[in-house]
Order: sequence, then C-alpha cells, then structure tokens
Amino acid sequence: MSEVPARGIACPFCGLACDDLSVGPIGVDTRGCGKAAAGFAAQSLSHEHRVGGERATLEQAIEVAAGILRGARLPLITGLSVDLAGAQGLVALADRCGAVIDRWQAAAQADTQGVVQRAGALTATFGEVANRADVVLIVGADPGRDYPRLYERLVTNKTPLYRERPPSVVHLGPSAAPPSGLPLVAQVPVEAPRLLDALRALSALLDGRRAGGGTAPDLPLAQIGDLAGRLNDARYGAIIWDAATFPAGEGDLCTAMVLRILRSLNRKTRCVGLPLGGNGNSQGVAQVMLWQAGWPSRLCFAGGAPEHDPWRFRSERLLASGEVDALLWVSTFAAVAPPVATVPTIAIVAPNTALRAAPAAEIRVGMAGLDHGGTILRADTVIAVPLAAARPSGLPSVASVAALLLPRLQAAA
Amino acid sequence: MITRLSGGRIFDPANGVNGDIRDLYVEDGRIIAAPASGTADQTYELRGRAVMAGGIDIHSHVAGGKVNLARLLMADDHRDVRALHGSLTRSGSGVATPSSFVTGYRYAGMGYTAAFEPAMVPSNARSTHLEMADLPIVDKGTYVMLGNDEFLLDLLAHGADQERINDYVAWMMRATAALGVKTVNPGGISAFKFNERKLDIDGAIPHHRVAPRRVIQALTRALSELGVPHPLHVHCNNLGIPGNIDTTLGTIAAAEGFPIHLTHVQFHSYGTEGDRHFSSAAARLAEAVNGNPHVTIDVGQIMFGQTVTASGDTMAQYRNRTFASPDKWIVMDIECDGGCGLVPFRYRDKNFVNALQWTIGLELFLLIKDPWRVFLTTDHPNGAPFTAYPTLIRLLMDRDFRNACLKEIHPAAQTVTTLGSIAREYTLDEIAIMTRAAPARILGLADRGHLGIGAAADIAVYAEDADRAKMFTAPEHLFKDGVEVARRGEVVAASLGRTHVVQPEYDRAIEKPLKTFFDDHMSLRFENFPLSEPELADTGIGLAVHPCKPRSRA
Repeated sequence: MSEVPARGIACPFCGLACDDLSVGPIGVDTRGCGKAAAGFAAQSLSHEHRVGGERATLEQAIEVAAGILRGARLPLITGLSVDLAGAQGLVALADRCGAVIDRWQAAAQADTQGVVQRAGALTATFGEVANRADVVLIVGADPGRDYPRLYERLVTNKTPLYRERPPSVVHLGPSAAPPSGLPLVAQVPVEAPRLLDALRALSALLDGRRAGGGTAPDLPLAQIGDLAGRLNDARYGAIIWDAATFPAGEGDLCTAMVLRILRSLNRKTRCVGLPLGGNGNSQGVAQVMLWQAGWPSRLCFAGGAPEHDPWRFRSERLLASGEVDALLWVSTFAAVAPPVATVPTIAIVAPNTALRAAPAAEIRVGMAGLDHGGTILRADTVIAVPLAAARPSGLPSVASVAALLLPRLQAAA
Repeated sequence: MITRLSGGRIFDPANGVNGDIRDLYVEDGRIIAAPASGTADQTYELRGRAVMAGGIDIHSHVAGGKVNLARLLMADDHRDVRALHGSLTRSGSGVATPSSFVTGYRYAGMGYTAAFEPAMVPSNARSTHLEMADLPIVDKGTYVMLGNDEFLLDLLAHGADQERINDYVAWMMRATAALGVKTVNPGGISAFKFNERKLDIDGAIPHHRVAPRRVIQALTRALSELGVPHPLHVHCNNLGIPGNIDTTLGTIAAAEGFPIHLTHVQFHSYGTEGDRHFSSAAARLAEAVNGNPHVTIDVGQIMFGQTVTASGDTMAQYRNRTFASPDKWIVMDIECDGGCGLVPFRYRDKNFVNALQWTIGLELFLLIKDPWRVFLTTDHPNGAPFTAYPTLIRLLMDRDFRNACLKEIHPAAQTVTTLGSIAREYTLDEIAIMTRAAPARILGLADRGHLGIGAAADIAVYAEDADRAKMFTAPEHLFKDGVEVARRGEVVAASLGRTHVVQPEYDRAIEKPLKTFFDDHMSLRFENFPLSEPELADTGIGLAVHPCKPRSRA
C-alpha cells in the first residue's frame, strides 16, 4: 500500500472514508470536503520520541513504555483512534498485560452497540441507501455536520441504479439543525428533549395505535402522521442518524425506538437504518475487539480472559476513579492529547498532536492514510477501505510499535 | 529433521489405506518415503492409535462481518464461556461464535487443520481476510457469494455470453482472494431488497426478470469452464420452508450435469406430509444424490441446544425472526452484492420441528451411500457449534447410541422418522473420507486430506476408544505442516495457517464495464475494491494458490 495512486485515494478523517480523493502537486484534492482538507493539511509538530520530556530513540521510549506496562497492576489502553492493524496490535498488548482496553469518549457508539446486543438491528450499507432509497428520514440534529459528504454520496448522488428520482427527504429533529444543503419535502420540528417522545409517537402510529393522546400536546402529531404515511408508502425507506446528536442519556432509548420503527415498517415494505459513526476508525476498532475477544468495547483482560462491562470498563470512569495505575494513550486520526493523568502515561500519537504535559514516554507514530498505508472500516461496518500513504514520512505505525512492545511484556500465563 | 510416526493404524482413504499398521515419516512439513537409513531424529510410538490426515471443514462460518454481528448478539455466550490466555495462546470467549483465536485453537484441539468460511460477501472480502489473519493454526479459505450481486444479475438480464460471465466470476474470485463461489438463495437476497418475501427457482428476480434457475446454470457452468476445482456451492432457495425438497431437486436439475455442491441440505429436505404439514424428504434427496454422481452435499446437522444462525439469506432470516430465541435478530442489506441475517436459535429435542430436523440430518448421512459425496457439517454455528462434531460422529458410528438418543426426542417425531430402522454405522474409513479425503478432493487441495508421499504433514493421531465421541474430541497429537501443534486438545505451538485460493484466468475486457459500474454506482471505487497480494502479505497471510483445470459436464 505504499504506492500512491494518481486518483482514488481514501480519506481517514471521517466514517464515510470517501475513496475518490486524488493527490496532485499542490496536495490532496478533497473534492470540497473541509474536514478532509484540514486533516490532510495538518502541520507536523514533532517527529521526536521522548522520555520524561527529553529526546530519546524509539528503542529507549519503547523500553520505558514496556517498563510502565510491566509494573502496572491494571493499565488502561485508550484513545484508540487507530487503523485496523494498530487495533489488532493493541488488543494483543491488552491481552498480554492484563489491561483494560476501551475507546475514549465512545458513549454514542456504546449506546448503539448495546441496543444491537439487546434487541438487534435492521441496517444497510451506503451502496444500498445510495442506489435504492426513495424516502430518506434524517433523525436528530444534522448528521452531515460530522460527515460532510453524506448527502452528496447517499442522497443526491447522480447515478443511482434503482431510484428514478431523488429521494423524498424528511427531517425529524431540531429545526435549528436541519440537514444542510438538502432540499426537504417535510420538516418535523422536534427539539432535542422531545425527540424520544416524537419517535415513540411515530412508532405508535406505525403500529396502528394512538399516539400521544393528551400527554403530548406539544408534539407535531399531524406531521408525524404524515411521516408515518410516507414511510409506509416508500418502496425502500432509509432512516439515517448520528447517535452522537441524540439527547444525552437517551441515546440508547432513541436508537431502540428507531429499531422498533424499522421493525414495524418491514412487515409490509422495506426500510433500513443507517446509524452513522466510525470516525477515527471506531467501527474498525470495535470489529477487531469483537473478533479477537468477543465484545466490541469496554474490555478488561485482567483475569487472563476478556470480560466486558459497559459501566465498569468505561475508560473515562476508570481514569477518574483511580482504579487504573498506568495509561497507554494511542491516537492517530484524531490529534488528541492524552488526558492529564496522575498515573504514568505513555502517549503514542501522530506528529500533529500537541501535548499539554510531558508524558513518561512519548512515541510519535504515523497516521494511516497520510504517513503510511493501512485499512479502516467505514461507518457501515462491512467495507474495509484501503488507505494509501498520501505523504509518506517513515514514522513507525501503531502496529509496529505494538509489535515492539509485545515481546517486552512478560507473558502472564 | 526427520520425524517418524511409528506403528499407528493408518486411515488414508485417498490412497486406499484402511487401518493398516504403518510408519509415516515427516520432513520439512511434508510426508516423505521411509529414509534409506531407516532412522529418524524423533519418533512418536503410536501403537493402538488411529492416524488420519487433519480434518477439513468444508463449511463453517468462522469469519467476516456477519460472524461479528453474531458475536455481538451472543453476548451471554461470550460472558458464560471465557478462555484464558496461555504462554503461547491468546484469550477469548464464546461457544456458538467463538472469538477468532479460540476458533483456531478449538479446531486444532479437535484434530482439524482447515476450515472454510463459506459466505463471504464480495464487499466484505478485505475485512474477512484481515480477520482471518487472527484465526490461528488451521488453514482457511473463503467462498465468495455471487448470484445476488446486481452486476451479475444485470449481465444475465441482458443475455450476456457465458464467456463474459466467466470473466466476471474469475475477476471477482481474484479480487476477493476466494477459493470457491457460493450462491445463497440465488436472486432471493436481491429480491428481498425489492420487498419480495419468497422466490422459487423459476420465479422472476425483480427488476432483472431472470429466474434463479438461470443463475445456477450460469455459475455452475462458469466454474467448470474456468476450471475452479470446487463446484458451485449452493444454498438453495426456500431454506427452511416445508415442501422445499422440490426446490432442492430442481436445483440439481438446474445444474444440467455440471458439478454442483448443495450445502446444509438438512434445511432443504422438507416435505409437507402429516398432521403438521412438515415431514422428512431425506429419502427423496438421498435418492437424487445417489443417482447423480456430479452432486455433492454437506448436511448441516442440527444438535440440540443454544446457537445462533448466521446467513447471507436475508429473505429466510427475516422470515425466521419469529423463532428467535432469545428474541433479537439482525438483518442487513449489503452493498448491492449480498446481505446477512442473524437469528439466535435454541433447538429443543421436545419440539416436533427441531426433533424432525435432527432426524432428517441423520437420515441424509445414513441414506446417501457414497461417503465421498457427503460431508460432515453442522453449518457452524447454524445447526450447532463445530465443537459438536465428536458427538455427531458417534451418532453416525454407533447405532445403539443413536437409537438411545432417538428415544429422547419429541414422540411424534419418533413415530414418523425411519431413523430407528436404519442399521448403517459409519466406519473409521468412512469418517476419514467424509472429514478429510473427500473435502480436500472437492476443494482441489491436492496435498491435503491424505497421507501419501509429498502430502502436507497435517496429521491427527487419535487414541482408539469405543466411545467415538470421546475418541474424536481431542486427538493425542495434531501435526500441522509437520509441527506438533496440539496434544490432547491443548495447543503446544502457535502457528498461522495458509489461505487457500484459486486465481482463474480472465479476459481483462471485463474490467471496463466493471469500472463504470463501481465508479458510477458503488460506494467504493473500482481500483480500491480488489485485494492485492502485497496487501494480503502485509497481514501475515500466506497464500496457497491451487491450479484451475477446465472440465465439462457429467
């Protein structure tokens, strides 16, 4: 994957993983995507490995990092904005040293995973939505904010296979955050605190029950009724949302209600869900955890075998509570510094990450898709997208650093 | 270094050896002739042991996006059964959908050295192969799913020449690093996306207006003309529906004499007789298989207990959601080339339908005469986890055990089945055929599945035991490419097997319409779709490329 093709390189900066970018003499043509442009243009701040703030060789930094992990009772491996090979290497490390491994700030993804675990899912990939959907319902605040080319690729795409005209798009969500640049056939204005109730009302109407009654005078029930009719009449509806925009504390309930709506609709027609996510290869990291350990997140290997608990092994809680005694922070696609922690910290970060404090060990790695090749999974989880080295740097990959660390950690048999 | 395996009873049906006491010699991962000196650097005394090639599972859902979704649904299974890591091994969890490392260790612990993932959606190929880099010890390979891919359906709808279809199939097999091609409910997965809920073999696939029969014709012929060793691997239309035996027999006819492999036929051998309008049609299918030498099958036996069904057949899985236990399920439409559906199942011996399914599978095993054409599978995890194989082998080899189990199932199922009257007991030679020699032959793995000179030294050594389940649970030794990797079920050496593929030739003219199709309609560009060999090599996977030899119809 080291050769850079003239066209068709892929972008690692959001879960859409658009692969129609090209590299030219003036840099990467990101087809108008500001997020990708910013990502590819990121300034390199440091290529230097450090130990306690002082310049060091990679080997010296690795030795210090290995010593921290060997000496820890319960290390935490988090951040986890890494490519698939990096994730494979880091779960192996967690298994070897009995660590907790969990993605940082992944509440929305965990909500979605929890609903799938408990109830299931009814979904489709980008290619199905783009080629078939005749009605598109956007739920919640505009998911296009975090996935800039979403509508261009899936809704207003020019050459669909089985759609004769652009789909009818309805937005159910805050009127202040409509899908930007997308013509709507209807807007069902529902502010965030009422989103769950609005979804309940839609679900009730689809099941032939009365919605709301006297308890929901503020819900636009007539418009929700129209929406129910539109979805029932669709040949192939698609419901798109970004759970990160759902009201805090109600993400799982909203997602479960969307699933209920999908189940109702599919009794007579077709309708699929497309939950967005996958920024920083979060879907890829979840898949690696699933195949290597059996669960997608919030894993602890301390007992010598993986254990999953969505509350106990949430990285933010563990770091705040002081239950972990070392922090291995790995972040490449997102230039995020490790949280300042009282425990010994190893930072494995890309060159464009500014560190607030000097960690015990600082290892600068490349970013897949920029410094070296690699693979990430798209938001729709099925398709792994190959990344080329758009700007090769010779920095080590996360996978290669993990491979250097692994033999230095005593096998706790 | 030369290793001698001394004094074992050799079961090597591919070379006509049936229980003879012989020495085997191994050097550099291969079986060699006895050295002139007669000496070896290392000797295993195997008196009283049965020696066979490593087991080969022709159909087992071990990797890919749908298996990961199944893992997600089976959270309880993963919580209840966890495997500790060792100095050589990785930890893991699960029984019905074990994590990848544990899958490899359990296969090796049971004497298997290869397992083939039978339902790789083309668009999921890259992810599947990356995952298989974490499936240790055993060799592996995939069958790419075609027949619901809109590009092929469009070719058929426009009456494309067979040559063009062949070019497309060959391109796709190379692009996805596949060993075989499977078709799942041909046309039915696509039809479900157009809101059709049932599709018969002569029905019309929506939009394209071609029949599933035409898909089967085109693909069986393509694989024969390309010389792909494994015939089309077919999951028939109408899975699980009472009366589907007619569809299954129709599928055999649709192949028009070209080799065809029907998979998990237990789910496709149902009649409509009796008070409950659900009956065994095993005898009818067995008769058809016995009379058609170009047909091979695997059974997809069910065993009682908790599992999860994982299938590309969204149409069937959506229909079966009402049986979900526990009550949760996933259906996903995939990328204009396939789909997947996950439904947890708990097969109960006191449930009439489940009990009859159990008897139907066993009837098929026992009524199909030629062990070279019937393969031992549970369609892992759909009928049962692959770890049920030792018990299944005992059911086939031990009539008293089988009849004792029969007495435990739903009484109405006992009265309608002919199982109790079937006297046949499989021999060790026949077990070696159906789990080793025949799968290797039907997959085109010339150096696997046998113990002749030059064969890969994949060797399982079993302590003889009248309780065949006990015997086949954990061989005393398992050698993979000449290295002892497992002893009495425990992994003693970590290794990573190969990925078996074929690379049929094709006319590159097909790439032009493919490029247009991908770039105009698909969400991944044409040049990013195919897996490259360097990309596979980067994952640590070694490819074993098998030759293609074109053949004609029977």
